[in-house]
Amino acid sequence: MSSLNALLRKEWRENVRNFKLYWIPIVFVIFGILEPITNHFLPEIMKSVGNLPEGTDFVWPKFRGEDIFVSLMGQYQIIGILVIILAFMGSISGERKTGTATLLYVRPMSFSQYFLSKWIVVNVIVLASVWLGFLAAWYYIRILFNPVAAGEVFAFLGTYSLWLIFAVTVVLSLSAWMPTGGTAGLSILILLVFQVLDGIIGTYWTISPWKLSTYALNAFGASVDQSDFWMSVGLTIIFIVLLVFFGMYMAKRNAAKTLV
Amino acid sequence: MSEIANIPWSLILPVLVLQLILMVVALVDVIRHQRTNGPFILWIFIILLLGLIGPILYFIFGRKQA
Repeated sequence: MSSLNALLRKEWRENVRNFKLYWIPIVFVIFGILEPITNHFLPEIMKSVGNLPEGTDFVWPKFRGEDIFVSLMGQYQIIGILVIILAFMGSISGERKTGTATLLYVRPMSFSQYFLSKWIVVNVIVLASVWLGFLAAWYYIRILFNPVAAGEVFAFLGTYSLWLIFAVTVVLSLSAWMPTGGTAGLSILILLVFQVLDGIIGTYWTISPWKLSTYALNAFGASVDQSDFWMSVGLTIIFIVLLVFFGMYMAKRNAAKTLV
Repeated sequence: MSEIANIPWSLILPVLVLQLILMVVALVDVIRHQRTNGPFILWIFIILLLGLIGPILYFIFGRKQA
């Protein structure tokens, strides 16, 4: 256990020094604050810079606070996931390329603990960032729209967090398998393109990790059929466990590819 | 000029402060290390001129890992 401890401390220090511990939460919080503000002031913004013809009478939909959570999640599903992929695509492949790995691999270190240390630290950073973003949004929604019940928000965050852990696991295990470029491409395919595909033709199946975000919105009273929710949760957890083992195995197998 | 007074500064101020923090951290890092992918002067302009996107681009693509 003490070597896992040492690896965790090394990961933490690295993420402090490359500023990921600071800039990723700040980015998510900025998006979380901007979403309620822009939605609230949209009619006024359009009036002053929208170039609407004189006398246009446009009826703006009346947003509820819950709707803003939905649209913010839409933002995070694209921009947020992209930030996560780009920030962590080099977590393991980059260490092999720069030679940091050489310094690690000569030590008596278990590759499962090596992978696990990265997995834990990256998940902590990502979950904390997204939670801070949604909490900031929650505060602004309370001021600008209507208060949203805490129970709804935390039910939503709980389900959405599982999807985020899945996303992080995909990025890290691919990073253990492939060079950084391949990791980026395949992660974008799995996490962003599949998401769109699931939205288009996903009505034919109800059990998939990509459905989790839709199920999460149910907390805000969206009418999504919830019957296969727990099956999706179970399937996602199985995927996560399998990917973690795949990542550990690949980290060990690719150790020989380290540049000295 | 009355439109500027109408902007709810108390709501937007936190965003501006966070953006400023990002920008300052990125700038300090560029100037201290000067090891970037591409000329570091270019990165200074990207950070200063592109608003929120500039520092993000720098942290993702601009920093050269030690």
